[in-house]
Amino acid sequence: MSKSKLPTALIRLQREYRELTLDPPDGITAGPVSEDNFYLWEVLIQGPEGTPFEGGIFPAEMRFPKDYPLAPPTMTFLGEMWHPNIYENGKVCISILHPPGADPNGYEKASERWSPVQTVGMILLSVMSMLAAPNDESPANVNAAKMWRDDREAYEKKVREGVRRSLGLDA
Amino acid sequence: MDSDMNSISSEDDFLDQDSDLSLEQGDADSDFDGDEDGDMMGFESQDKIMKPGRKAYEVEFKVYSPKDIQAYQSKQVTEVSSILGQPPEATAILLRYARWNKERLIESYMDKQEEVLEAAGLSENEGNTSKIKKVKGFSCDICCEDDEDLDTFAMKCGHRYCVDCYKHYLSQKIKDEGEAARIKCPGDDCNRVVDSKSLDLLVSTDLQDSRYQELLTRTYVDDKDNLKWCPAPNCVFAVDCSVKARDLERIVPTVHCNCGHGFCFGCTLNDHQPAPCSLVKRWLKKCEDDSETANWISANTKECPRCNSTIEKNGGCNHMTCRKCRHEFCWMCMGVWSEHGTSWYNCNRFEEKSGSEARDAQAKSRQSLERYLHYYNRYANHEQSAKLDRDIYQKTERKMMSLQTTSGMSWIEVQFLEAASKALQECRQTLKWTYAFAFYLARNNQTMIFEDNQKDLEMAVENLSEMFEKPVDALSDLKVEMMDKTSYCTKRRVILLTDTAENLKAGKGNLLEASEMLELERNSYPWDE
Repeated sequence: MSKSKLPTALIRLQREYRELTLDPPDGITAGPVSEDNFYLWEVLIQGPEGTPFEGGIFPAEMRFPKDYPLAPPTMTFLGEMWHPNIYENGKVCISILHPPGADPNGYEKASERWSPVQTVGMILLSVMSMLAAPNDESPANVNAAKMWRDDREAYEKKVREGVRRSLGLDA
Repeated sequence: MDSDMNSISSEDDFLDQDSDLSLEQGDADSDFDGDEDGDMMGFESQDKIMKPGRKAYEVEFKVYSPKDIQAYQSKQVTEVSSILGQPPEATAILLRYARWNKERLIESYMDKQEEVLEAAGLSENEGNTSKIKKVKGFSCDICCEDDEDLDTFAMKCGHRYCVDCYKHYLSQKIKDEGEAARIKCPGDDCNRVVDSKSLDLLVSTDLQDSRYQELLTRTYVDDKDNLKWCPAPNCVFAVDCSVKARDLERIVPTVHCNCGHGFCFGCTLNDHQPAPCSLVKRWLKKCEDDSETANWISANTKECPRCNSTIEKNGGCNHMTCRKCRHEFCWMCMGVWSEHGTSWYNCNRFEEKSGSEARDAQAKSRQSLERYLHYYNRYANHEQSAKLDRDIYQKTERKMMSLQTTSGMSWIEVQFLEAASKALQECRQTLKWTYAFAFYLARNNQTMIFEDNQKDLEMAVENLSEMFEKPVDALSDLKVEMMDKTSYCTKRRVILLTDTAENLKAGKGNLLEASEMLELERNSYPWDE
């Protein structure tokens, strides 16, 4: 590792970018914002079909730490998102993005958290399935979690309105 | 006081007759209370109960230091190693794999040796797989390094990574995540456990010796049902107690760690005798969601006489219309409003039939709420008082010092203050839980005996507590009286706990039926109806 000229993180990110471009998963586009900074990526995620997020395109950014892949990146949605596992500022709270060892809430098994063999593609697939199936045990947005649990109809309506707004349609 | 004592002891005699189920007596293992008994003169009538080494509410336990546990582990490893004919290192892995269930391990090993070895990650035909080697054309999935002479490693599962990444992964697991006995292969979804040979190859001896060993000990304690760590902060001891989970309905296994912390072996919460774990759990849950709300409801609301909805009066007018069933009634007399005729917005009537019936119904529906609050308030009060007593305890040492200087007493002679303070803590802890316990008791003779015991202990405790607050100069004169009170409190506590524990153990407790408990808990949610 020490002999190479480029830092591990950059080699890894370049390879992941290449793989994602050659073989992109359905409904996901991702890549660095610019060639100068591989540590900041922009991402577009399609709302999964059969969920209230269907039809929406959700932009997000991912920031990678200098010691990637030992530490996980963070992911933040740039538009409004009403979802139990997304903070109101757009930050995604999902076990795969949590660094190993640290689990302040005691909800997650170590095996569900970040490990260096996970990839950007895996994260984005996890986020897509999170959109379809929220986890209300450790909610980031308590109000959304409560609504999701107690009044599914209102939750879905609110999500759909958000999707329409984000597309520039009237809610 | 004398006659009082006698009456209690005769009750104990009565109960003693069928205490054949009581724990094995005569074990001198628990040193708890051992020497205090000597101080309790003048209570000869109780000696029959006090004399045996262990009282009915005490359980047998041992405290182990981490060293003891390690020694015990290696003893077991040696033992099993000779039976299985495996070297000690391999036996250790096998035992960890079998969660230290010796019998099951030996049995299944004899049955299907190959399978067990395989599953524990000890397979013989590992060949050259678990070695560090260079592989042509290899690129590490983690760091993407693909140098020709890169050292790589994989276990039998074949998930190969470069040695640097593997090492980093393992030390992160050990250091940050506190895993040891069952670290898994870094490969996605791979369940292969990293065996000790691989660890020897990849993890520095420093880390193995210190943290890794500590973690192995921890897993050992976690794996054994009869061992539990003391939950006190920074305490390193583990407690060995043989009380099984299924016995927790009948025994409250309070244990005392060498660090001084007393806790329940069943649930590791602070000592909660005499209430059994299941009731404690129920009670805490109920208190958590209910107490504030219930207090407020009790103070500010009434129930609609027709549909029992809980109603808050939000204006000055006594003419209430239930929002739910549109029933119109009078807030003061709870009678139907139409009977008030033309006396609008005022109630000066007395003993109207509909009114008194409604008030009766009201009283009934309030009863369970009030009952809960009765017990809760006393429970909470003892908790609060124990806290305040604890503050006083902090000042005790200073008091003891100043008592030495003002009265010329020696250090030994002022120890009675500390003893009093300790007794106070212990008794309040017990009293607190007697109220949670009492909430779940049926009304019968046993409960009355229990309540008498509770009352006696409570009075003794309040007396002692009051003395404790006297100014320092008065304390030296109170010494004898305080010592008396201290031992009296301790004694009352022992009587209460013994009595309750014996009933509980004999399974002829006075607890309510499960359905009745549910009813009780449900009834104080008037809004649920």
